[in-house]
Amino acid sequence: MTISHMKFPVLLLFFVANICLAQKNTNEDFRFLERTEDIKINLKKGTFNIVKSIHEKAEYVTANKLYFANEVLHFDSFTKLQDIEATTYLPVSGKTLEVDYIETKHEFDDGIFYSDQQTKNFTFPGVTKGAITDLKYKEIISEPHFLGLFRFGTYAPTQKAILRIEFPKNVEIGYKEFHTENITIDFKKEETKNSNIYTWTTENVAKFMSEDDAEAALYHLPHIILHIKNYTEDNKTVPILNNVKDLYSWYASLAKQVDESDLKKVYKIAEDIAKKYTTDREKAEAIYNWVQENITYVAFEDGLGGFIPRGAASVCKNRYGDCKDMANLLYVMLNHVGIPSYRTWIGTRDRPYLYDEVPTPMVDNHMITATVIDKDTIFIDGTDSYVNFGMPSSFTQTKEALIGISPEKFVLKKVPVQPSEKSKTSINTTITFENGNIKASEKRTMTGYERVDFVTDYLYKKKDNTEEEFLNTTLALGNNKTKYQNIEVSPLESKHKTLTLTFDLLIESYAKTIGSKTILNLNIDRVLSKQKIDIEVRKYAKKIDHQFQKKYTTTFIVPKGYKVTSVPKPIKYDGKAYGFDINYEQKDGKVIQHKTIYINTLRVEKEDFEAWNSFVKKLIKAYKKSIIIEK
Amino acid sequence: MRSIIVILLCLCTTQAFSQFYKEYDWAKKPKLHKLSDKEANESSIAIMEKYMVEYVIPDFGNNLQKFETTHTIARVHDEKGIKTHNTVYISMYDVINIVDIKARTITPDGKVTLLNKDNIKEVKNVEEYGDFKIFAIEGAEKDSEIEVLYTLEKEYSAFGRETLQKSYPIKKLEYDFIYGKMPGRAKVYNAFTDFDDRIYNKRQGKQLILEDIVPMIEEEYATPNSNKIYVAFQCFGPGTNVTDDMLWSNVVTNITEGMFPEKVHPEITKIVTGILKDQKTDDYTKAYLIDDYVKKNYTIVKNNNAQLSEIDYIIKNKSASDLGIIKVYSHLLEAAKVEYMPVITSDVYEHKFDSEFFNPTALREFLIYIPKAYNYITPNRVDYRLSEIPPNILGNTGIFVNNKKQFSFYKIPQKDPDYSRVERNMNISFEDDMEYVKIDQNQKYFGHWAMNNRAYLNLAPEQAIKEFEDYLTGSGIEDKVVKKYETENKEMMQLEYNKPFLVSSTITSESLLEEAGDSYIFQVGKVIGTQSELYQETKRVNPIQMQYPNRYNYQIVVTIPTDYEAEGLESLIIKKELLDDKGEQKCKFESNYKLEGNKIVITIEEFYKEFEYEIAEYEGFREVINAASDFNKAAILMNPKE
Repeated sequence: MTISHMKFPVLLLFFVANICLAQKNTNEDFRFLERTEDIKINLKKGTFNIVKSIHEKAEYVTANKLYFANEVLHFDSFTKLQDIEATTYLPVSGKTLEVDYIETKHEFDDGIFYSDQQTKNFTFPGVTKGAITDLKYKEIISEPHFLGLFRFGTYAPTQKAILRIEFPKNVEIGYKEFHTENITIDFKKEETKNSNIYTWTTENVAKFMSEDDAEAALYHLPHIILHIKNYTEDNKTVPILNNVKDLYSWYASLAKQVDESDLKKVYKIAEDIAKKYTTDREKAEAIYNWVQENITYVAFEDGLGGFIPRGAASVCKNRYGDCKDMANLLYVMLNHVGIPSYRTWIGTRDRPYLYDEVPTPMVDNHMITATVIDKDTIFIDGTDSYVNFGMPSSFTQTKEALIGISPEKFVLKKVPVQPSEKSKTSINTTITFENGNIKASEKRTMTGYERVDFVTDYLYKKKDNTEEEFLNTTLALGNNKTKYQNIEVSPLESKHKTLTLTFDLLIESYAKTIGSKTILNLNIDRVLSKQKIDIEVRKYAKKIDHQFQKKYTTTFIVPKGYKVTSVPKPIKYDGKAYGFDINYEQKDGKVIQHKTIYINTLRVEKEDFEAWNSFVKKLIKAYKKSIIIEK
Repeated sequence: MRSIIVILLCLCTTQAFSQFYKEYDWAKKPKLHKLSDKEANESSIAIMEKYMVEYVIPDFGNNLQKFETTHTIARVHDEKGIKTHNTVYISMYDVINIVDIKARTITPDGKVTLLNKDNIKEVKNVEEYGDFKIFAIEGAEKDSEIEVLYTLEKEYSAFGRETLQKSYPIKKLEYDFIYGKMPGRAKVYNAFTDFDDRIYNKRQGKQLILEDIVPMIEEEYATPNSNKIYVAFQCFGPGTNVTDDMLWSNVVTNITEGMFPEKVHPEITKIVTGILKDQKTDDYTKAYLIDDYVKKNYTIVKNNNAQLSEIDYIIKNKSASDLGIIKVYSHLLEAAKVEYMPVITSDVYEHKFDSEFFNPTALREFLIYIPKAYNYITPNRVDYRLSEIPPNILGNTGIFVNNKKQFSFYKIPQKDPDYSRVERNMNISFEDDMEYVKIDQNQKYFGHWAMNNRAYLNLAPEQAIKEFEDYLTGSGIEDKVVKKYETENKEMMQLEYNKPFLVSSTITSESLLEEAGDSYIFQVGKVIGTQSELYQETKRVNPIQMQYPNRYNYQIVVTIPTDYEAEGLESLIIKKELLDDKGEQKCKFESNYKLEGNKIVITIEEFYKEFEYEIAEYEGFREVINAASDFNKAAILMNPKE
């Protein structure tokens, strides 16, 4: 039965939030005629009143994407929405229809258990081919640290995008553009008696389209981040976000509000764990493992509560917390047993910024703990239940960490990329040929992120499937007739450095016997063979989650009465960033295939696509080669 | 003495009418329960889940009361188990009073942590589900037991439904349905045990006890959600005698209000003239044009705006609720003089309609049947136009209502057995001194296939369209290079009945040709695209439900280079079939070949005449399905001529 390409996902229509950049396309179904954001900053005696006036005008070029008529505006305890005016203009009849019904809603989110974020939902009336919708509303921002960002481009083409900010002359504003190299922006500075006005205008920005295995949208989308640097009142300059120091002192002021009462029980747990070990490294590892195993991730985002970690005592009692709660708990426990540790702010790999570029809360979205043992800075992420101590969570590699040393002092340090040797899978397979079928027994030993990925998939991707089905879809060994038997998985907890997976395989209709010859391909695992990049259409670099190595030793036991008549020649691709090596050895009635594959990069840049493809093509070519045995 | 009797009597009456939920409580001193080794191996297991629905005639006032109690105890053994049970969402839909919410955790060392009620959060108007109270369980460690008990007073409603089967195993389940002197009925679905009568504090009720409920498993070609164990109940005021027939009739009257307009809305009369233009011939064409018009001009909105079902508002704003949109169609069809019947049913993957037990939650999907065209309009699917019944409804029972508001129940069938089919013709050659394979292909898609393909190419976001084009040129060929890709009849608007969607493409691939010494192996089986394979290590749980009856006819012509000869062609011959009692084929896969000079002509015929098969037929069905995936492994060996 032919597999149909999924049922048409009706849901897809309502969540086209996956913003995407494409070439200018005249066949667009929907486009923005205008997107304007007008920010007005008022300051009175140290209190800011910030109003963003937003205006969006869009055209339905065809009737194919009418679902864009469903509008959702988000707000939370830091922002208020006001004066929403939305209309549809129908050029054919000259009529204008008004949105007369707006509903306030909550959304449940898989990642965040409770959030104070709400939405205003409404539908533009009467949209059809040719309709023009017009949306105006005000966003009132109560927290001067959150000026946000403006996207020049978005999920639909934009004919004109304007950002305008008007602020009193005693206020200083900072800004930085990202990925605007390929668009033309007209920047203008004006002033009135009391205010400065900055305006950025751009025209005809193509729509942005996300790609598989690519960095997040903010790595490509043309946008700008604004921040209030400081203000001067009564000859005194008050900093807001001049630089990282200001950002940090704001974070530190929030951290000060952490409830530090009642820590006795927490201390006792830390002491009980630590006393079983001698070195700081062992102690830290055991404490980290305890948090990984005993604190479950549950996130609350509730006003500033979304920024202030909950007290360690409460996290320990409740046995749940989010990233900042776990980071703080680790900080308390480790320091208590004499291991210097620090609360650390960091952006995951989804955030492309450096703190110095834009010293704002936009840079980070995560919190971890940094600890220093034998002069070695170790990043510990309480939210990653399965990574081994000593390795940062995979999604924080390469990112700049803001480590809070004391309320006044911080350091910026990059989380190192974890080399491929640390994430290794060794695969040992013995293959026999019996009654026309292939039997194999395999043992996979995984370390580092290879281990973490397997565990998370095994626990959460498997869902209601059986273990056999899970392995069949994730490993896809042999062909789709492969049967997995006697599956065994070693303990999953992160205190175990390696994970071992063993199983037996029965693969029917795999070896081809024609006359006296049997042809058999020892590459039952064809990892990376589907990774060719479509160079003509691909726009963005390919993102790789972690560097890794795979080492295969595949031993084929030549059945009695057979002789080996053909063995493939060795083949390899010897790149700096990626490569493989396959060779065959014949001894004692066996054919042994040795195969190593390595990826030593986290990104394949656009200019390296050709090289990547020749690597994949050569690998596919190598996968095609079989051995032949004859009676 | 007299006063004592009075007091005694009072006590008796109070006791006789005392509500059962008030006495129900969890154990004062909780202890961990004993589990078998197998149970201890699960990520989590519910030791007990208890549901209690109690209807009460109040001492004062006329409003009947309804109390619902939920009590669960779950053992959690690992992180996944904890995550399954440590966040609690309680729907506040229809709730007028929270009698109590409490929760506690009992750790292996016996420590009890009680939920701090201040940590219960309120969430308002969540998506389409209304308000919720949510909280996270405090103090849950591995091997703990999580216990939750709450009682809600709900607005009186005569009906209810509760799904009892979960994603984790349940050791013991109790369902108590207490209705006293009122007429109460309860029915359990998909279970082997039934309700028993029971007296609760002298009040009449029914109890269901189920043991060792396994989680529903995901199976292919199945409707696992609608096969889950669930309970439905009804309870009416004392002395009433309400039958299912009355209930259906009442609901049909309510729902179809405004669906048979006596007078067409003047605005619609104008519109219809514009839509139909000179096309005033048959009902199929007229209904198709109307469907296309509505889908391009109206939006279905899901919110609480009551005006979305008022025809004037709808026509002005071109926005409607899922019921309101039917009214637009009604006016349009009426104006175009097309005969139509509203159909009320539910998604067969979510709920199997039971005409013998009224349950308002079953009334979720609204369609319009056009009798003269034997086809349906599916208003809430922008990806559909007038067609045979869509796969998510096919096979369910629906209420068909005629213009006299008379209604009948039918199991909704597919009329044209050959509606959905795929034809393919391929020409395959080897190029560049056996360097790569070239495949020229022409495909014709009919019925639901065509509908789905058109919807993708017209309505999906670009990224999805790109993936879809990849699928259309042949899935599962990893190093495929697309040289040509053209489509025909791509537009959503197709007035000709079942006009096929056409694709013509040319691709090349190196990986299909493997080397073995001087010979080559051509993986011919892969050219038909990835085929689904049914694994069944465990006993099949769900009966088989295919999306729709299907047929495939392929012809593959392989030109062997003149200096090679082909071997191993016998792997191209496959035949599997499933026969009914009369020996007729219900489904079949058959592939064969002919040699014509240096050409191998391969033919494949695969069909599924039925879309439903019983569990007993599973093995036979599986063999047919898997035969296609066996063909996937077919290979031709090409040896150099000596």
